[in-house]
Amino acid sequence: MMLPLLKTELFKLFRESKTWYAIAAVLLIELIILVAAYYQGAEILDLLLENLQQSFYFEGNLLNGNLLLYIVLNSLWFNLPLILMIVSSSLITDEYKNGTLKTLMLQAVDKRKLILAKFIASLIFTVLMLLLLMITTFVLAYGIFGTGDLVVYLGTLNFFPSEEAFKRICFAFASGTISMIFFTTVSITLGIFLKESAKTWIASAFFLILSSLLLKAKFGLGAVESYFFPKLTNSWQRFFDYEVDVSSILLDNSVLGIYIILVVLIGTYYFKKQDVG
Amino acid sequence: MLKATQLSKTYKSGKALDNASIHLNSGQISGLLGRNGAGKTTLFKILCGLITPDAGKVSIASKKQKPIGAVIEEPGLYTYLNAYDNLKVFSQIQGAPTDITTLENCLKEVGLPLNRKDPVRNFSMGMKQRLGIAIALLNNPDILILDEPFSGLDPTGVASLSKLIKQLANRKIAILLSSHLMAELHKVCDDLYIIDNGKIINQGLTQDIIDSQVTIYTITGKNIENSDFIQSYIVQKEKNKVTIKCDSEAISEILKSLLDDRFKVTSCVPNITLEQLLNPVSK
Repeated sequence: MMLPLLKTELFKLFRESKTWYAIAAVLLIELIILVAAYYQGAEILDLLLENLQQSFYFEGNLLNGNLLLYIVLNSLWFNLPLILMIVSSSLITDEYKNGTLKTLMLQAVDKRKLILAKFIASLIFTVLMLLLLMITTFVLAYGIFGTGDLVVYLGTLNFFPSEEAFKRICFAFASGTISMIFFTTVSITLGIFLKESAKTWIASAFFLILSSLLLKAKFGLGAVESYFFPKLTNSWQRFFDYEVDVSSILLDNSVLGIYIILVVLIGTYYFKKQDVG
Repeated sequence: MLKATQLSKTYKSGKALDNASIHLNSGQISGLLGRNGAGKTTLFKILCGLITPDAGKVSIASKKQKPIGAVIEEPGLYTYLNAYDNLKVFSQIQGAPTDITTLENCLKEVGLPLNRKDPVRNFSMGMKQRLGIAIALLNNPDILILDEPFSGLDPTGVASLSKLIKQLANRKIAILLSSHLMAELHKVCDDLYIIDNGKIINQGLTQDIIDSQVTIYTITGKNIENSDFIQSYIVQKEKNKVTIKCDSEAISEILKSLLDDRFKVTSCVPNITLEQLLNPVSK
């Protein structure tokens, strides 16, 4: 019974013009980054590395596909999760707005399975979006700028050889996907509570900003520093530390996975409990 | 088929339903009549399981996967999909057949054209109502509940929807519908429930309820206004149409006399308002 529900949710999702606008927006942002880098990238890079260039000799082209991929990866901070949250929350808020949720509930459909199908559809959409972003950026960035060593500034300048950079970028996309799933899951649950699209979008944006602010905050408590959800949503960036602590990243992603399950359970419980209409 | 007993529901704004009981039989069309805010939609939502009553019980004698099909308030449709895809979506989620023949038959049954491939946002209200009914009928429910199905329809739409409702009742489906249109409920419903302030204040056979309160009739026929016999009853007359005041027992005598005097009566319509039924006067 779950599979037909899931198929229907995906069918509806990809027939909505909103979904295609979201895909277009993500690709457009990616394109703008690439075009800007093409015309101004070398200049900006020279400005950033001005001091270092006086002491060191840089061999090869630092404005390469790997750097561009890293820049596009930074979409995971705000614009990509926001777009994904808008599309995902619409899976439920549009049903409330158009009265279709009432029509759905008047059919022989289990409420719990219906909302779970929406969570899974959102998860699939999120994974597909990350894949699309990754593949198109790989093709365009390597096609236009070629490969080369990656230079990343995270408190200190880290340099990674081209092959290693590629691996780190792939892992970062995979880890970032879990963060994105967390945000989209939260947006659906917010939609279940708030019901209205505009309210849910504002709450989603607020949640995203709050998460970013709390990520930088120091709480001084070990458990909060380690396992409070805002501290777990940036694991993807830790793949660009000079020494990657794989087990710590895996643990963070697993804890974030538990948060995802918790958010799904809260959303499902509340949806099942409340009256429709 | 369906028995709801002593249903009550209170919202923050007040009591919406107060000890309301209703029963529906197979093949019977029942009407629910009441002002806006009388509790009709709340009753429908409780019967369909959309909201939980504070008290009371709904029992349904059906073994179907989907015992009740309903259109409550406006039909909720995916406006960016066409009629066929809407049917397909609602069929698929409940494991009902989604083959072309079955879905096209569903569209045909409610009188929707098969050649309309555009999104349902372009449809008229009447077509949306029909599609809503087609969705409600998916999975062959034993009971059909329609909330204000005639609202927003032109006279032709009202007439053809009435015909469709009667056809569905002939398939032994128990039907419950609400409407403000007294004339349509009179024509379509076998029995009637009158609801006011959340309470069922009257119930019975439609004809009995109407007959007990009607005092004004409109009779049309060629030169009917010239009949000597009805002059004493006339309250208003126009060319080929008179409005008369009498009780339900006298009307058959009047009609018989008109026929005896060789007047061709083309229609006789009782004029009754919702207010008369909500505030009945003892005769």
